Amino acid sequence: MADDSDVNDRGDGEAQKPEKMFTLKKWNAVAMWSWDVECDTCAICRVQVMDACLRCQAESKQDARYGRQDCVVVWGECNHSFHYCCMSLWVKQNNRCPLCQQEWSIQRMGK
Amino acid sequence: MAVAAMLKDKGQLMFEDKWPSMRPIILKLLQQEPVTQNEWQDLFYSVHLVCLWDEKGPPKVKEALKDDIMDFIKQAQQRVLSHQEDQALLKAYIAEWRKFFTQCNYLPTPFRQLETSLAGKTSSSVQKKAQNDESIVRKLMLDSWNQSIFCDIKQRLQDSAMKLVHAERNGEAFDSLLVIGVRESYVNLCSNPEDKLQIYRENFEKAYIEATEAFYKMKAPQYLQANGVQNYMKYADSKLREEEQRAHKYLESCSGSVQVLTDCCVNVLVSTFKSTILAECAGMIKANETERLQLMFKLMDRVPDGIQPMLHDLEEHIMSAGLADMVAAADVITQDSEKYVERLLELFKQFSVLVSKAFNDDPRFLTARDKAYRHVVNDTQVFRLELPAKQTGGLKAQPESKCPELLANYCDMLLRKTPLSKKLTSDEIESKLKDVLLVLKYVQNKDVFMRYHKAHLTRRLILDTSADSEKEENMVEWLREVGMPADYVNKLARMFQDIKVSEDLNQQFKETYRSSRGSIADSINIKILNAGAWARGSERVTVSLPLELEDYIPEVEDFYKKKHSGRKLQWYHHMSNGTITFSNAVGRFDVDVTTFQMAVLFAWNQRPLERIPYENLRLATELPDPELRRTLWSLVAFPKLKRQVLQYSPEVQSPKDFEENTMFWVNQEFALVKNGKLQRRGKINLVGRLQLSTERSKEEDNESIVQLRILRVQEAIIKILKMRKHISNAQLQSELVDILKNMFLPSKKMIKEQVEWLIEHKYMRRDEDDINTFIYMA
Repeated sequence: MADDSDVNDRGDGEAQKPEKMFTLKKWNAVAMWSWDVECDTCAICRVQVMDACLRCQAESKQDARYGRQDCVVVWGECNHSFHYCCMSLWVKQNNRCPLCQQEWSIQRMGK
Repeated sequence: MAVAAMLKDKGQLMFEDKWPSMRPIILKLLQQEPVTQNEWQDLFYSVHLVCLWDEKGPPKVKEALKDDIMDFIKQAQQRVLSHQEDQALLKAYIAEWRKFFTQCNYLPTPFRQLETSLAGKTSSSVQKKAQNDESIVRKLMLDSWNQSIFCDIKQRLQDSAMKLVHAERNGEAFDSLLVIGVRESYVNLCSNPEDKLQIYRENFEKAYIEATEAFYKMKAPQYLQANGVQNYMKYADSKLREEEQRAHKYLESCSGSVQVLTDCCVNVLVSTFKSTILAECAGMIKANETERLQLMFKLMDRVPDGIQPMLHDLEEHIMSAGLADMVAAADVITQDSEKYVERLLELFKQFSVLVSKAFNDDPRFLTARDKAYRHVVNDTQVFRLELPAKQTGGLKAQPESKCPELLANYCDMLLRKTPLSKKLTSDEIESKLKDVLLVLKYVQNKDVFMRYHKAHLTRRLILDTSADSEKEENMVEWLREVGMPADYVNKLARMFQDIKVSEDLNQQFKETYRSSRGSIADSINIKILNAGAWARGSERVTVSLPLELEDYIPEVEDFYKKKHSGRKLQWYHHMSNGTITFSNAVGRFDVDVTTFQMAVLFAWNQRPLERIPYENLRLATELPDPELRRTLWSLVAFPKLKRQVLQYSPEVQSPKDFEENTMFWVNQEFALVKNGKLQRRGKINLVGRLQLSTERSKEEDNESIVQLRILRVQEAIIKILKMRKHISNAQLQSELVDILKNMFLPSKKMIKEQVEWLIEHKYMRRDEDDINTFIYMA
């Protein structure tokens, strides 16, 4: 950790001493996003929540082709998560979470 | 009839009264002497009267007529038989027959009434219409001819005709009308309404075919012996054609005779020598004698099972020639995927030209080509990809052809900015990509190709090194068209979409931060991608970023959180990269580096001239050991550089030989050397092929291919069983191969293992009565 503080010192001194041996010109940073879920499979359609739900994959092949990401994830108050498409069909029949049987109410939606 | 009964007593119209006046006219007609209009009409009238008024008239007329006809025929017979010589005999016969046959059409006309009366007695008048054609008198005439003259001399006629044909076969010319005339008499003579060609078939056709067969049975072996197989094939072919033409001339056209004759000729000329001819096939294929092969193909196609051995020879040739070619060029093609793919394609084209020139692209030969070519493509003799056999530890790895990997590499060379893609035109690249797809069709394990192709695409997109983004997207659609699994292709398509989304995001990020912190926005590009489409396995590697970079992370994360919710970000630093400026005593250089390389190099910023041991670099960067070794190696031994960025001591042969206390220092003499001259400024790319694949993920790659195959097999077995409920082992195997063919060819062993696993876990069971049948257990 001594190294880190050392770097800090140098970093602060950058203004006075621009001729450091290596200077950053450009950085192309790569990150991956995924839904912040506890279980990465939707319990209703058994497809990974990162992929479009089964219905979306089958119905709108054309959209899936071009990577439309409309098939988002929804979290209930119970913190269980599903595809929004799957859940909105589910609640029409049974207004409970398929995993814990608590009454279903939406906590938040993925965006 | 009522009128007839009423006027019955008018006795002056009896047959006996009328016949004497009728007879001379009839005789004139038979002899084709001129008959006046009056006589002709009188005959009608007389027949009419006799039939109408004399109850016994009609049979009497018939009898009398018959006697006269017989008399006439006897005379004709004498005239014919007076000729001894064949041609003269035929000529005479045909002349007589023509005359007689013409009369067969005239003479019956006046006797219509007679026919009505005779028929009226035996059957109802309704049938008359149908029998219109077959007049009784005509039948009488033809039957008489048949029974007398024809039966007597038909053998002589036939023999004479056949002699003429024989003479023609030997090249002598003669009046072909003679033979045709004989045939016509055979055809027209028949009065059997069921089978008009009966007489013709039983006599003339039979004799013709027997004569033909006998002729070639004698000639063909002689010719073969004297001239050899190659010439014999030409002979047989030309004779077949010749005989077919001749048959059209001499045999009745719509009787099927020509076919019978052709079959007979094929049998004598080709079938008999089938094995002798076929023995030449392999050699001819090898020597690429397309014209002769075409001839052989034409001949053998007419023989049952004639093509089969040729197909076999073709397959053998393609396999052995293809493999021999590969083995001979092994040194080059194992090193160079471009050469390999082009060699493969050249072979394919070569074989295709052969099939097209020699066999007219006959589907059976195309299938044989495909089968053999598939074998060449998937052969493991020249190079193999070792896939670890999972789980069952002791078993040996099963080697596979490296072809799919090399195909993917070649694709990458075409799609990336490379010397190859730069020198080709857009159309050339497109046609080469199509070629790749063509070969891919023959690759058994397409899943390997998919994996490598995706890795290459990932690299191109992240490093922004695609030569042509339109072509990239076309390629994805082409892969869809050739039947690559939809979920795979969709993921590729999604990657393109992601890159576009990411560009927008990057734009927004820059705008947001430009005002507040100028420099940060300009020097950072972000790509935030969908983990579902891009990431695979546990390939993420941690690294302790230099502070210069570390500072950006929270900025980006904050920005992203404002845009989206419910998402978490993971940084993939092994994919990220950048440009740094390296200043030393010689000059200033812009260096493209990976983030790992950056992390290593920045360790010297605080102590530019120090020598740092390996161990300390590891502490500073926190890179896993294999990654650090690889990264360092790329800085001390970058292939293209004359002067390296880092120097080290003591010297080692490979990255794994670095010791804990191997010392590294920055080369203060670093410079680019161009044409032997030192450059003070310049740009150099050190990223190379290092990006994206971590040491660990490389090993995992092959392992996960196998793992994925196991899952796919299980999945497919269950899918089949769910549908079929119960299924035999053999059928299960073939359906499995069909379902999985666009991904890989499951080995028998793998199928067996997975069936056992599924049985053990009670997804299915064996039938108690038949252990080769499986039953689905819901």
